[in-house]
Amino acid sequence: MKRAAIYILFALVGIAIGGYTALAMSGLLPGDRRTQGSVVLGNWYGDLAIGSEDASPYFRTRIARHGLLALANTEAIYFTSIVDDSGRPFSEACNYRLSGGAMPARWWSVTLYNSDNFLPDNADGALSFDASRAEAQNGADGQWSAIISAERPDGETAWLSSKAGGNFDLTFRLYVPDEGVLGDPTGMIEAPSVERLDCAGEAA
Amino acid sequence: MKRFFGPALVAAVLGIAVHAAIIYLSPQFIMDRAYTMLGERGTPVHGFQLSPQMRPDTQSVVRPSPDLAYSGCRFDLSQAPDGLLVRMAAFDGYSSLSFFDAQTNNFLTVRGNGEAQEVTLTRENSPSDKGIILIRRLAPTEEDYMKVAEIAKSDICEVQ
Repeated sequence: MKRAAIYILFALVGIAIGGYTALAMSGLLPGDRRTQGSVVLGNWYGDLAIGSEDASPYFRTRIARHGLLALANTEAIYFTSIVDDSGRPFSEACNYRLSGGAMPARWWSVTLYNSDNFLPDNADGALSFDASRAEAQNGADGQWSAIISAERPDGETAWLSSKAGGNFDLTFRLYVPDEGVLGDPTGMIEAPSVERLDCAGEAA
Repeated sequence: MKRFFGPALVAAVLGIAVHAAIIYLSPQFIMDRAYTMLGERGTPVHGFQLSPQMRPDTQSVVRPSPDLAYSGCRFDLSQAPDGLLVRMAAFDGYSSLSFFDAQTNNFLTVRGNGEAQEVTLTRENSPSDKGIILIRRLAPTEEDYMKVAEIAKSDICEVQ
């Protein structure tokens, strides 16, 4: 009887360890964020194996959970960041300046998501900034900027609303990347900058 | 210590088995749930449906892009012995026709380039019987979306 109990105890421990490590390694634990990838652009993480049959089983599971129906790299590449330029996690309580220049792709966008991988529940209609909005700014050398904040900024400033975003993250998409980008993503892509401006109740 | 060898071996075998099962079965499980959920939201088997503009109250899969208009078709080749005719109507802006198998792999994508694109999907060129076909069209504004809504009426996903 005692022998059987030992077997059962060890079996349960084995199942628990096997299950937990699988969930942790593939991004299935609650609260896990899509922040892994073999391509690192500053604070942005991506992986060119997204959507591909070449993806490792762990990465395929992670993407199924955090980016289901993502396209393979010849069509689109994806990067995600959960921190600003200084490495501090994004917060709905803070204001940021998102900025950048020309991107090596036919079209690109930066979109704001909550920690559940969904668009935050607000009616502001301002959850993404894309190449067409950047072109409308007509900046020198393709430079563009937008404010990320929970409240609409004054004036005509481009805006991404973080209302109800909590500790949000940003996904940077490049559709139809230019020739050479897949071979040298870190050399050819200058990822957007996200500068923290100020926060409610604290100094910036 | 020797008496723990057997139980430890059982623990290791079960742990590895559970670990592998979760890793290998999760994508299929998640895709199956998405397939069912899209059906509950009106995406037919063998027919395209244009999703509403992606907004917090209309999103149905994780990380949708609010700048894109999505048309989805679920496929089940066990019900289409001669395959499926899939046609994406021509669109001036960026558009793509992409195919996802039961393991979540994007096994085929055809870019629009301003012209209609057609693919015949069969058991020979699809890794799985069931999957999801997605058309993406660039539509950052309400006006763009309305244009897509007209064009998307000509998309085809039908049994041959």
